[in-house]
Amino acid sequence: MLVLVCGGIFARRAWFLTGLVRKARPSDRPGTEAERAVAEAEIVLGQRKLLQRLVPGLMHAFIFWGFLVLFPTIVLAAIDVAGGGDHTPVWYRDLADAFAVLVLVGVATAVVIRKIVRPERFRGSHLGEADFILAMIAAVVVTLLLWHHVGGTALAWAHLIVIGAFLAYLPYSKHLHIATAALNVWMARTRKRGRLEPLRFDVPDDELRFGVATIADLTRKEVVDAFSCTECGRCQDACPAYATGKILSPKLVIMGVRDQLFAQSAEPIVGAGVPEEMIWDCVTCGACVEACPVSIEHVDHIVDLRRSRLMVDASFPAEAEPMLRDVERASNPWGKPQTERAAWAAELGVRVLEPGDPAPEYLYWVGCAASFDERAKKSAESTAKLLQAAGVDFAILGPREGCTGDPARRMGNEYVFQAQAEQNVATLNGQGVTKIVASCPHCFNTLANEYGDFGGSYEVLHHTELLAQLVDEGRLAPVAGAGSVTYHDSCYLARHNDVRVQPRKLLNVIGQPVEMERSGKKTFCCGAGGAHMWMEERGTQINVERAKEAAATGAETLAVACPFCTVMLDDGVREVGAELRVADVATLLAESLG
Amino acid sequence: MIVCFVEDDELSAQAVGFARTLGEVRAVTFAGAYQPAAWAKALAAQEAEAIVAAGSDRGNELLAHVGALLDQPFAANVTAIDGDVVTRVRWGGSLVEEARLHGAPKLLTVAPHVHAPAEFDPEVLEAVDDGSPKVLERVEESSGGVSLRDAKVVVSGGRGVGSSEGFAIIEELAGLLGGAVGCSRVVTSAGWRPHADQVGQTGTKISADLYIACGISGATQHIAGAKGAKKILAINTDPEAPIFASADYAVIGDLHEVVPAISAELRRVRG
Amino acid sequence: MVLTADAQALETKHLGFTISPHEECAVEEAVRIGGEVVVLTLGPAEAEEQLRDQMAIGADRGILLKTNGEEWDAQSTAAAIVDAIRAEGPFDLILFGNESADAAGFQVGIRVAHALGLPVVTGLKKIEVQGDRVRCERDVGGARDVVEAPLPAVLTVLEGLNLPRYPSVPGRLRAKSKPLAVVEPARPEQRLEKLRLVVPEGQGKQAEILENAAAVVAVMQSLGVA
Repeated sequence: MLVLVCGGIFARRAWFLTGLVRKARPSDRPGTEAERAVAEAEIVLGQRKLLQRLVPGLMHAFIFWGFLVLFPTIVLAAIDVAGGGDHTPVWYRDLADAFAVLVLVGVATAVVIRKIVRPERFRGSHLGEADFILAMIAAVVVTLLLWHHVGGTALAWAHLIVIGAFLAYLPYSKHLHIATAALNVWMARTRKRGRLEPLRFDVPDDELRFGVATIADLTRKEVVDAFSCTECGRCQDACPAYATGKILSPKLVIMGVRDQLFAQSAEPIVGAGVPEEMIWDCVTCGACVEACPVSIEHVDHIVDLRRSRLMVDASFPAEAEPMLRDVERASNPWGKPQTERAAWAAELGVRVLEPGDPAPEYLYWVGCAASFDERAKKSAESTAKLLQAAGVDFAILGPREGCTGDPARRMGNEYVFQAQAEQNVATLNGQGVTKIVASCPHCFNTLANEYGDFGGSYEVLHHTELLAQLVDEGRLAPVAGAGSVTYHDSCYLARHNDVRVQPRKLLNVIGQPVEMERSGKKTFCCGAGGAHMWMEERGTQINVERAKEAAATGAETLAVACPFCTVMLDDGVREVGAELRVADVATLLAESLG
Repeated sequence: MIVCFVEDDELSAQAVGFARTLGEVRAVTFAGAYQPAAWAKALAAQEAEAIVAAGSDRGNELLAHVGALLDQPFAANVTAIDGDVVTRVRWGGSLVEEARLHGAPKLLTVAPHVHAPAEFDPEVLEAVDDGSPKVLERVEESSGGVSLRDAKVVVSGGRGVGSSEGFAIIEELAGLLGGAVGCSRVVTSAGWRPHADQVGQTGTKISADLYIACGISGATQHIAGAKGAKKILAINTDPEAPIFASADYAVIGDLHEVVPAISAELRRVRG
Repeated sequence: MVLTADAQALETKHLGFTISPHEECAVEEAVRIGGEVVVLTLGPAEAEEQLRDQMAIGADRGILLKTNGEEWDAQSTAAAIVDAIRAEGPFDLILFGNESADAAGFQVGIRVAHALGLPVVTGLKKIEVQGDRVRCERDVGGARDVVEAPLPAVLTVLEGLNLPRYPSVPGRLRAKSKPLAVVEPARPEQRLEKLRLVVPEGQGKQAEILENAAAVVAVMQSLGVA
């Protein structure tokens, strides 16, 4: 009876929810089965992401592992109430008791965290619901312990009733994550984290999708993301926009999508579920995705919401419009003449590829910033000089290099991005390019991970990767320096693409490195991502926040590996008034060659 | 005989001076409300080898009408003429074109500042009102001051200005030049000026004849808003500042001294 | 809106294959005024893309007067446009972007108006269609001159007239299948015959250093701003 009622409630809701997943659009998150299996083992069984914060991580791990171990007690209790008696083997009873105690330790820890510590990350979460769930968890293990040690079918019944009630409640609450989290981890991308899902515009009208306007446009992964959110707020804590006073909270974005889904609302999600300002505040740094214990991929949601607002409603921050027009018409986001693109290279005698020329070993993709921005040009000059000194066969495209389209894509203008992608792929393929080295992590990411969807597959290195290789091979011989240097990891290098070691190899050789706390995968954005280089910023500035952190290390030099980071952090350092030189790793390396 | 349309201004005086190098000149003007098609009919009816005007908005418009009426070619903003070959400026002086003007009478307007002004005593021609569009009234702009977008001169301040009060000298110079005050993003972030004054990628894109950048380092996003200006003058203490790569004229110095000095000199030459 | 159902507004752009901000404002204004909007340009094959962009923001159809990329002087441009208008017309309103006088395009609107016997008003910052008349405001320095004209009329407009909308992607996709006619007019003898273009000396990237305030003011005077 109990089974029927509770099971029935659960099953009906589960049917509804799986229906939402089935009806959703297909998603495209790359990865092999083997990689996904590893992710399941690490993230689900091993609780790796949760353990990024030790105490809350252990708290949850105890409860989770406890539930895994305690699961068979349901069957044993059922047998008891059915009249079969208590068949629990002694060894299992002891094991179960031990884990039950661990669960209670976990619950107690959770209570302390929630009621006494009260971390900021819970702002906006439904705390009442969480309390109820903790109470239910406690009730489950308390009834179990009582049944084990006091005995009697009444307690077995109690245990089962609590479990049954919990089961019925589960799919209506955020505790749903216990059913969906493992699935969400499986579905998440394990490779090409910097690649956004492309849209198709050459399909019949009824199949056209311009990102996400209403819940009908969500992809399966996006739906399962929404189901899996536990409102833990770790993403909110990691978000540089939230940290500097913007209203964006990745947690609230996912909760907003979830609420619209559950309510089966036909309203546009932006407005009804997620405030408009939030989606434009995002710098696409991915810190939220890195922090999420259940592999929610918030950046895809935000970009998808941007896509429909921009491409269908033509509604987006007006200050970004000149950039979009310039990328489309002038092939660079500043509307400068493409004929000047190779001006920096003229005096250095860098080879500019002409149509029909043989392909160089490496095509050096300079990027718009290093081609046109005075501060960023230095890194291109330094890189070129280093490659020449090492005798590398390379060339640049010069005026035929067009913007990769990254700022347009992150802004949500997939249409303009694809036009740029197709054009650049045609140029690259036409020249027979196979290997590319890029200065700019955004270009690097797009060339390596995103152009594959448009017929362009190349072996792409970031300039720090190639330079580190050249130093290893002895083709470049830097002289060690005594200056202290701290390194700012670019989001698109360190987090989206796991390039963290090579820049450090170089800095180890040329100076005395000192790390910032938020470094490597935990790096704090410079603020230029998500097309924010071209948008106004409200509140405290992200780049100033980061510049302060860099200055606090006491280093003399702040090394960067990205033209946007260069500009943003240089501005930030000036704002803060710190005595800190901001320079690209390539420039520092070139100087160290003497 | 050359007919030169004039108004009571410096550019017309220059046009007369230029025309006199080609021959005898009748300076003519009109009375009453501006009615370009009607005025042009009167001009076109004059016997002349050439019909000339200053390269002002009105001069250019009138000559265009004359060209249409007579079905003759018209060369605007001419700097020199030799027989039927004219030299004219395009794109605010960054391009010069030589062209052959196959027409009679020769129709041309004179680019500003290519010839010294000359004295003239204009004849008033009669223009018959032919019902074509004419100016009914003049409405002054409701907003006081020149808008940043439309201003012919923009005087702009950056981090180097130092404070909101520091902008007083910027405003003074802008006022003397009849221009607008602009600023860089650093200034609006600091709260010294409102966002409406911001020149740049995320602010206003200007199209002035002259942009004066004071204490502005010249970040790419700022230049993106300023590059519409025909000429850029940068004032900065740092000779390595990126703005100099985009500037036509440079003053290496402290704007707090340079800007008031320019204002003083302007006052001096105006008497 | 008072225009009748088959009322039409024609948009012309004639400076080849880069649309100017003035022309963009003209198309935006035409779309706002309503009725059937036709965009026309004289230029090489690449100019078709420009026409499609304008159809993406709401123009209904396009006409490309195809050239081989050579410049056409103001008279020949106007003549070709007049022929096209006579073939496609009549139009209630013919809008041009007000190019600066040093570009050939400046005169075209005026020449087209004369050829068609229509009134023309230039340099407009505001247009109000009122029944069978139009009330316009011309930009004159810091003020506006008010002019009226009966329809049909030719108007040339300045950037700042309005803020052109950003095209939506569905609009761009629809524009791909909107009608676009291509005509190849014959290029007549050029009566303002371009002989050569010269980049004046001193056009390099080096900023000219000015030593004192007097030098600065002298430059200002030469630019006509002091």
